[in-house]
Amino acid sequence: MMLLHLLLVVAFGASAGQAPPDVEQGKQLFNGMCARCHGIDGTGDEGPSLNRPTLTRAATDDALREVISDGIPDRGMPRVRRLTDNEVRQLAAYVRSLGRAAAGATSGDAAKGRATYDKLGCAACHIIGGQGGSFGPDLTQIGVNRGPSYLRQSFLGPAEALPRGTSPIPGRGFTEYLPVRIVTGDGREVRGVRVNEDPFTIQVRDSSNHFQSFRKSDTREIEKEFGKSVMPGFRGRLTDQETEDLVAFLSSLRGAQ
Amino acid sequence: MLLVLAFGVAPIAAAAQVPAPRIVAADATPTDWLTYSGNYQSHRFSALTQINRQNVSQLKPAWIYQVRRTGIVETSPIVADGVMYITEPPSTVTALDVRSGRPLWTYTPSIPTDVIVIGSPPVNRGVAILDDTVFFGTVNGHLIALDARSGAVRWDVQVDDNKFGYYVTSAPLAIDGRIIVGVSGAEAGIRGFLDAYDPKTGRRVWRTHTVPAPGEPGSDTWSGDTWKTGGGSAWLTGSYDPALNLIYWGTGNPGPDWNGDLRPGDNLYTCSLIAISPVDGKMKWHFQFTPHDIHDWDANEIPVLFDATIDGRPRKLVAMANRNAFYYVLDRETGQFLSALPYAKQTWAERIDAKGRPVRRSGTAPSVEGTLVFPNIQGASNWPSPSYSPQTRLFYQAAREMGTYFFKGEPQYKPGEPFVAGGGRAVNGDDAWGAIRALESTTGRLKWEFKLVTPPMSGVLSTAGGLVFGGTDEGNFFALDAESGKPLWDTQLGGMIRANPMAFAVDGKEYVAIAAGYGIFVFGLP
Repeated sequence: MMLLHLLLVVAFGASAGQAPPDVEQGKQLFNGMCARCHGIDGTGDEGPSLNRPTLTRAATDDALREVISDGIPDRGMPRVRRLTDNEVRQLAAYVRSLGRAAAGATSGDAAKGRATYDKLGCAACHIIGGQGGSFGPDLTQIGVNRGPSYLRQSFLGPAEALPRGTSPIPGRGFTEYLPVRIVTGDGREVRGVRVNEDPFTIQVRDSSNHFQSFRKSDTREIEKEFGKSVMPGFRGRLTDQETEDLVAFLSSLRGAQ
Repeated sequence: MLLVLAFGVAPIAAAAQVPAPRIVAADATPTDWLTYSGNYQSHRFSALTQINRQNVSQLKPAWIYQVRRTGIVETSPIVADGVMYITEPPSTVTALDVRSGRPLWTYTPSIPTDVIVIGSPPVNRGVAILDDTVFFGTVNGHLIALDARSGAVRWDVQVDDNKFGYYVTSAPLAIDGRIIVGVSGAEAGIRGFLDAYDPKTGRRVWRTHTVPAPGEPGSDTWSGDTWKTGGGSAWLTGSYDPALNLIYWGTGNPGPDWNGDLRPGDNLYTCSLIAISPVDGKMKWHFQFTPHDIHDWDANEIPVLFDATIDGRPRKLVAMANRNAFYYVLDRETGQFLSALPYAKQTWAERIDAKGRPVRRSGTAPSVEGTLVFPNIQGASNWPSPSYSPQTRLFYQAAREMGTYFFKGEPQYKPGEPFVAGGGRAVNGDDAWGAIRALESTTGRLKWEFKLVTPPMSGVLSTAGGLVFGGTDEGNFFALDAESGKPLWDTQLGGMIRANPMAFAVDGKEYVAIAAGYGIFVFGLP
């Protein structure tokens, strides 16, 4: 709390009449600290795209500077580092310049994308607006949380980019939905996704979406299958237009209407 | 053994409850835990044997105390004569009955709402005890003495002005006639120091700055006025050799942290171990682990004192598992460098040369675009304590295996505001991990390790029962075999463990205690 207070002082201590912030310097800072999640040029990736005229969490410049200074910890955005007020102004100016230059995120048609979503049976494993299966991530506001390039990747080749730690469990950047294969002490094989883990225990949801818990010392083998996903990949199974339609549909999912 | 020792727990009618000679002889009364790290040599070792390899699997909670205000509980308890003294975040002291866990008194100083705490969460790591008085520091930069029986204030002094970012989180070190305390605040551009106070009156006896003023030895390692904001906080409790009458204290990073352009030179005495006379505060020797640090690798880790024979010669040694990922062994009489070996992954140094100076790799400096370097920004070690067992002669360290993208930013000093000029993005999750490592104390060579799934921020305790206790961010409190590292017992405490374990005994029964989440957990045999 106290730290937050201090940062606000730093962020908004800028007095009137300053020179306009250096947008190029802001771009350098952005590429170092922000592009990994928000994409080069703010096109979005694991984190939401920022090349939009209106940013959900940063409608005003004050709000944008606050988000840059403090992060949004409950949504997986860390405060990457402490910034001077000048650095915050440079970053904010660069992010705003992305919105002004914004091109359309996707050429797809969201309504057609919905039809593709239904045809592929995605709802068997994903919830939208409370409806659907719960084995995979809830997509109700996936369009807020993820950029178009990430969304495209997520169904074309999901194993290549498993989501990392935006939820508090398992937290701190751990790979979510990591496939695991466990061989129990009596030789039984359990496959599922990791839910949580510590040095002594591991919790998984098995392929029938039931929780299972293991003492590691009671197992024969625990294989964490990095580079794999339990979700099928659709690369080669969709036309380019179907792909873009699906991206448009997923991008349109922005929470309760 | 315990029965004999238990006599030491009986109430003492004498005026002085914990006189200094009793702390000097702390090893002889393991029923108590009289100073931050258990003894002045900072072994964090308990000679108690009742809980041991054979029965540790039966450990059960004896009592739990929950703090009354949320915050990270990093306290390391002190136990003296049936009373446990703990601190609660940010700066509260509470005395607990060790038999029941029931509070006996509590004291909360008035902390201004605009208190400045830059560089760590607003925490407190414990108290010191001497005679009838309990000493602790506050987040607004005060050192306060409380009556050990009632919690009443004996004296309250300002160590330095919190408006400039000076604050205290560490337990003071109480020795004969001196209360030694260091400050935090290098991330606000303070000029660090170590202070000694008269235990009876609170009068400051000496102050030794960790950053020299112009004309003082070491001042040629700074340029211009940079010494004024040079950092070098002495923010964790040091060690003491009563025979040599020397205090050993680690110092922190230079300011600003991640941009060294304004402060060319070694920046003495930051990121160093300093040996100081408690009589007058004069520095006998110093050893700098990371000259001109630009990664925030403070050298505040616990200096551990022990004696051993090296190359056929008996030596008095001090060892530190430094935040920069190297384990150093020095001669503690002279400060002479003897050896250094990495105990965790590091990518910043080619090697440590014959004088103990690192040979840096190029391309490891923080940059605007980010530079990936191991160890991470919080280091391969940090404030959580190591342990040294005189039985196994092993040095136990909770090691953090993680990298950070280090960023260089603008240096901009404003009093009482962050003066860091950069920062980092940790490479965490499945790419990071940790381990409890047992190192040969004279060399740092790995004897065994027990792997953890995240980099730990919990210290370790070793015991004469052949055990090493430790904790995890996931809330596991566990015991390993001190000889082999084999896990023997673990339990889930339901909150992050960011604290140091300790042990004590009362009524002939041994207990181990550790803070986790918002509570203090005490375990014993059924």
